[in-house]
Amino acid sequence: MSTIAKIRRRDFLKISGITGTGLILGFGISAHAKENITTHFEPNAFLKIGSDNSILIFAKNPEIGQGVKTSLPMIIAEELEVDWDKTEVVQALLDPRLGAQFAGGSTAVKMNWQTLRNAGATAKHMLIAAASTEWRLPENECYAENGTVKNKRNKKVLTYGQLAERASRLDVPQEVKLKDSKDFKIIGTAKKGVDNHKIVTGTAEFGIDARKEGMLVAVIEKCPVYGGKVTGYDDSEAMKVEGVRHVVKIDPLNPVDRIAGVAVVADNTWAAIKGRKVLKVNWEYGDGADENSESITARFREYVNKKGRIDLRNEGDVDAIFDNSAKVNEAIYEVPFLSHVPMEPMNYCADVREEECHLWGPTQVPGSVQRLAESITGIPRDKITVHMTRVGGGFGRRLMADYAADAITISHALKSPVQVVWSREDDIHHDYFRPAGMYKLKAALDERNKLVAWELKASTTSRYLFREADQSPHVTEVFPDGFPAGFVPNFRMEYTPVKTVVPTGAWRAPGHNATAFIDQSFIDEMAYVADKDPVDFRLEVLGEEDREMPYSDHGGPTYSTKRLKNVIRLAAEKSEWRSKKKGTYKGFAAHFMFGAYVAEVVSISMNAKNLPQIEEIWAVVDCGIVINRSGAEAQIEGGIIDGLGATIFGEVTIAGGMAAQSNFDTYRMIRMHDAPKINIHLVESNEAPEGLGEMSLPVISAAYTNAIFAATGKRIRKLPVQLSEISS
Amino acid sequence: MADFTLNINQRSYNVHVSPDTPLLWVLRDAIGLKGTKFGCGKALCGACTVHLDGNAIRSCSLPVSAVKGKIVTIEGLSENGDHPLQEAWKEIDVPQCGYCQVGQIMSAAALLARKPQPSDEDIDTAMSGNICRCGTYPRIKKAIIMAAAKGGAK
Repeated sequence: MSTIAKIRRRDFLKISGITGTGLILGFGISAHAKENITTHFEPNAFLKIGSDNSILIFAKNPEIGQGVKTSLPMIIAEELEVDWDKTEVVQALLDPRLGAQFAGGSTAVKMNWQTLRNAGATAKHMLIAAASTEWRLPENECYAENGTVKNKRNKKVLTYGQLAERASRLDVPQEVKLKDSKDFKIIGTAKKGVDNHKIVTGTAEFGIDARKEGMLVAVIEKCPVYGGKVTGYDDSEAMKVEGVRHVVKIDPLNPVDRIAGVAVVADNTWAAIKGRKVLKVNWEYGDGADENSESITARFREYVNKKGRIDLRNEGDVDAIFDNSAKVNEAIYEVPFLSHVPMEPMNYCADVREEECHLWGPTQVPGSVQRLAESITGIPRDKITVHMTRVGGGFGRRLMADYAADAITISHALKSPVQVVWSREDDIHHDYFRPAGMYKLKAALDERNKLVAWELKASTTSRYLFREADQSPHVTEVFPDGFPAGFVPNFRMEYTPVKTVVPTGAWRAPGHNATAFIDQSFIDEMAYVADKDPVDFRLEVLGEEDREMPYSDHGGPTYSTKRLKNVIRLAAEKSEWRSKKKGTYKGFAAHFMFGAYVAEVVSISMNAKNLPQIEEIWAVVDCGIVINRSGAEAQIEGGIIDGLGATIFGEVTIAGGMAAQSNFDTYRMIRMHDAPKINIHLVESNEAPEGLGEMSLPVISAAYTNAIFAATGKRIRKLPVQLSEISS
Repeated sequence: MADFTLNINQRSYNVHVSPDTPLLWVLRDAIGLKGTKFGCGKALCGACTVHLDGNAIRSCSLPVSAVKGKIVTIEGLSENGDHPLQEAWKEIDVPQCGYCQVGQIMSAAALLARKPQPSDEDIDTAMSGNICRCGTYPRIKKAIIMAAAKGGAK
């Protein structure tokens, strides 16, 4: 990872000046300023120490509920050697000095781990150096403790605040020593969310809470049929609604950011909503009107039953084994479109002026918002300030910045601050859904019941095809290096993407949220065909020898079978997998994704209506070093519940080129009474830390449906789970 | 447009709004009490929950003209943000994204006011109208139980 470049103080001032943060005024003037001005020591953009002993740590990434506003600053505080409770965490702006700022792929901790440690350690080192000069003692006899520097010779103590000015005059060192993990005091402990008090008192600022002088509110009518366009509109009634100021037609920007529609802009949200109700828009639906779930599924079915368009992997001779093996099993699995439905509906606030622009709102990709603003307004990026609010859930939806483009476009047109607010219906209708797909699996056992052949033919709608990003290394929705690839001598994987007007995108644990279900269900099927215990069968396929498996996808370049087998064994142990209790049935699943290893066990019973009732869930996770234990457990628990909800209820269907669901009455969500007891075990590890925002989710579907099979002998191959099929 | 006098958090507010404006938008846009959140607009998710004469109601679906009684929002739940539920929520570290939590707390507060020692089933029933996509339900339940144990009916 990057080492902090050597920057002399003079250059540092200059660089800071250009970015215009205005935070370091103390440096230059303190020497000749007599009044009581706080001097700030700011050796990098990640932290700021004041002569008043204030310790500010900047949270660089968008906080979408994954806990990075707490966990990333914890890493800095650890190396800075300060009392966590005495630090103040402040959300940073979009700022090139902070490196990539986004929320996606569970990457924040792993990408920033080294940089943030360096940032904290650099500051600490400079404060020690300042004390050593003050005391005329060698640096190695000085040490930092709890926001102070002490020395080994006498009892003198200097606080960081007292050292701030002197430290700010020193050169920033090129390399600094980092702490040994055994000396960690903050990392690995449970810290509560830094915004908890604000959240529980209703004062935390989410995007939707942005209020700017003279701000108007816009709601937008978009074509209900995907790919349709506006041919005309009549705003005479809408303009009569008191409070409505403008009705604006929005032209298409590009095929991916679907902003086209007609906006009703008013003094307040309700007036805009009312105006929209009486707005008349004429649409040309286009070819999209012919699309529906049945037609899309028919194409999946056609493709999985013939040779796939893309050969992803082919080893040995799968056909020969299938022809000659007595134990061949074949099954077709299906997953539906899913909506993201973060609790905060899409919204964004833009204030586009002549030569500058300020932006506020919930996004996972502030950098994309800035680029969009530049392309829409022509204002250069360094004049576009992106303010990051808390984000009321992301789950991948806010990797798309279409709704921000809505706001920027309207504000640019009206020369007024504008907040765009989507209704829940807009949110579901104009989502970028988790791709739907069909997966035909076939596998064979030899005479000793060993897995010797495995074939997957997958066909899905593709988020890559949708955004025409075929150049990406990840062009499919399946993982050619994922388990059991590499363990089965005859292995074939083919994939055919389906082009559709239905928008698809990344949905928490993209790809994996489908593949972990199908792989971990079908491996379970094969265990039963082999008449072996599902846990033993998985371990047998993984083999006794510990291996580093090549993995050319996010989370790679390799994964460790040792760590995967470890979570499998631990989950079996914690859940008492092998002890049979009358009336309860267990299902197992394990998966590697994005660098972390997860095994989950679901225990169910059948209730009086012969429906499955979850008794308990166990999750064992190896994500390397854990930063924030409370946050980590929250992510695991939340991911399981979210995944369970999607498994049981989640489904968007398409009819006439539109989503048939529109709000929480038709798009059902898991609620408190369905949330089971979850036991979490985090593997103690000194491996580099991985993220955790997504990893617990994909495994739960198969763990649950495998338990249903154990209880009923009915194999769930299509999601969401059709309970009527179980009870019948 | 019409004038309405509302009793919110033991204060009197005069607003001049359209009579069909949902209480939610009166709170957020006309008065500036933004703690109450918009989630679905159809009383399906609970993000907009406030108290009307002590009962948990969905402010997104109640026109201001129909409001008769005293309203309490999250801003008025406690003087210093220290209602036992707020304290428990922080202690248990409930929030993830945090967006739904105000509505969750308001539903829980109405429950505890009515039933200071709720059973598991009472909690499930009272909270069934509040959705959390982050899946914080187990911690919410723990926090309610903790607040109840500490006399959460405050």
